Amino acid sequence: MNFKIMPKSAFADWVDRLIGSYRVVGPKRKHGQYVFDELRGVEGLELHYPTSVLPPKKYLVPQKEVLLNYHLDGSRLEIASKPEPTVILGIHTCDIHALKLFDRIFSQGFTDQHYQAHRDSVILVSIECLEMCGPNAYCRDMGTASATEGFDLHMIDLGDVYAFNIGSQKGADLFKGFRQAFDAIDTDVDQINHVLATKWDNFPYRLDFDVHEMPALLHESFNSTLWDELGQKCLACGSCTQVCPTCYCFDVTDEVDLLMEEGQRVRRWDSCQIHEFAMVAGGHNFRERLALRQRHRFMRKGKYQMDAYNMVGCVGCGRCASACLAGITPIDVMNELCARQQCSELEPFASVVAEVAA
Amino acid sequence: MIPKKQKAKPRVAFFDFTSCEGCQLTVIDALQYHPELLDVIDIVEFREASSDSSDVYDIAFIEGSCTRASDEMRLRTIRDTASVVVALGACAHLGGINAIRNKQELDDVRHYVYDGKADWFATYAPRAISKVIEVDLVVPGCPISGAEFVRLVKGLLQGRMLEPIDYPLCIECKLKENVCVYQRGEICLGPITRAGCDAVCPMYGAGCEGCRGMITNPNMDAFYTVLREHGLSQAEVETKLTLFLTNQTMSMSREEAVHVEPTH
Ligand code: SF4
Ligand code: SF4
Ligand code: SF4
Ligand code: SF4
Ligand code: SF4
Repeated sequence: MNFKIMPKSAFADWVDRLIGSYRVVGPKRKHGQYVFDELRGVEGLELHYPTSVLPPKKYLVPQKEVLLNYHLDGSRLEIASKPEPTVILGIHTCDIHALKLFDRIFSQGFTDQHYQAHRDSVILVSIECLEMCGPNAYCRDMGTASATEGFDLHMIDLGDVYAFNIGSQKGADLFKGFRQAFDAIDTDVDQINHVLATKWDNFPYRLDFDVHEMPALLHESFNSTLWDELGQKCLACGSCTQVCPTCYCFDVTDEVDLLMEEGQRVRRWDSCQIHEFAMVAGGHNFRERLALRQRHRFMRKGKYQMDAYNMVGCVGCGRCASACLAGITPIDVMNELCARQQCSELEPFASVVAEVAA
Repeated sequence: MIPKKQKAKPRVAFFDFTSCEGCQLTVIDALQYHPELLDVIDIVEFREASSDSSDVYDIAFIEGSCTRASDEMRLRTIRDTASVVVALGACAHLGGINAIRNKQELDDVRHYVYDGKADWFATYAPRAISKVIEVDLVVPGCPISGAEFVRLVKGLLQGRMLEPIDYPLCIECKLKENVCVYQRGEICLGPITRAGCDAVCPMYGAGCEGCRGMITNPNMDAFYTVLREHGLSQAEVETKLTLFLTNQTMSMSREEAVHVEPTH
């Protein structure tokens, strides 16, 4: 591994230099919560934050994005988004794992060129969490409480200095011409290893079973009585999916001007928890019941993504649990399914073992 | 379809019933930002903005709820004349704030308001105009959103009846990363209310009062549980749902009553 060391006293200078060349965003405090927002300087940046309301996915798949501009006579058709080069500072490792999943999702089959344009324009600077970020997180269980790839730079807080793990040339270039970042020497590496090795006491396990068993558990739980119980509690408010770093469902609409000459094709986030999501032509709704929507959501997180992309679809960030007024949390759901299935007897899916071990 | 120059512009009329006229004001405001609409429609009656009036029109926008038997005849005339009828705002869409009184005895309310002259004023339970005539399109909200008005009217002129949004406000609220007002120990009707206002009340720190009406199929039992967990008594829950949702909740409980009967 290739590390740079930067005294914390130099960090503000570095951020200011970045702001001179890029749009720089990072976690900031807003009315007692934290949101990723544009930085004008290092002031306001909070690297020690619990978690953000929306994950940084909003810079890769914006809440609302114009995809195409066109003229209805066919004389004009152009891709609208020309993303600005953007440095995203302070990404938690769970969100880095979620973006790895996004990279797979949006490149499988047809590459989503809008996603790819954003992806090529962002530089991901993540930070190692040294303690659980909140009461609903369970990143250790999901294998996302640390990261060795998927970032351009990865920061580790060593007290007086930050260590930066260099993940890519794009990341390394952020130090070009900056004289206060030094190559790590042996004692720095020892300290990095010490911090990384001793943090685990602050990360309790919360799942009652091994994540390798999650797809098999969900497979066995397809007809569980728990789904009806969740359906009775759920408000169908969609908050859980909106805040989730691995949810990517979207809706595409055409918005045409009054004279039906010019138009825009727009993409917006969608949610499997709302009534109209599974409504098809003729008015049939194949997931009318809330129980079916809840089952679908948890199947997506714990099994379907594994089937399709070979990664578990939940990174354990806990955002959905914090957002849910009905108190539905993935930890409780998974543990309850486990209790009802006696999941210790399940065979783990071989592919999960391979992924988590990798 | 879109009226090109060779075609006659559709004649548009605005009518008001029991209302505060706030929605008509919002229309005037929206037209200032979208004057292009005026190139493609011909406003023949709009008491709030013009002294013209007409008995002939193609599209009728109706603001206000129906609160008297005598309103019904006027509504039917509008329906018979217009080819498209649009309910404009919460009063017309749901009965609006006017319907708060529907949970009380009508005579008590009339005497409270008009005192000795109560008998001079014929009135009945305020209702949505769709209870009296067929409505083709709804622009929800108290007041309506100017942007949504423009979107729905554009669709109408293009021959498309766009439905107003039918997902809950929480979706829009989360997209804006507002603080959920429940986190501050306050109550919000966002989980059961139609989005489309850009979550304007939570954005300014106030809970949603449900002015855009309920989403299709809200899980009311689950929502009551949430409200009770946040400290509301049964009576407070009912009061909370009164400002805009009186008619909708009353018809829900009537449906439920019908529903449970056969099991006895
Ligand atoms: S399902 Fe919940 S815990 Fe898992 S990634 Fe999504 S928001 Fe985070
Ligand atoms: S946040 Fe909770 S109540 Fe809302 S849709 Fe998700 S599970 Fe249901
Ligand atoms: S819906 Fe509200 S703003 Fe519109 S007329 Fe009724 S009371 Fe006034
Ligand atoms: S403030 Fe209201 S609309 Fe916003 S998330 Fe909370 S309950 Fe939903
Ligand atoms: S937040 Fe609720 S009460 Fe406020 S404008 Fe929107 S729908 Fe109406």
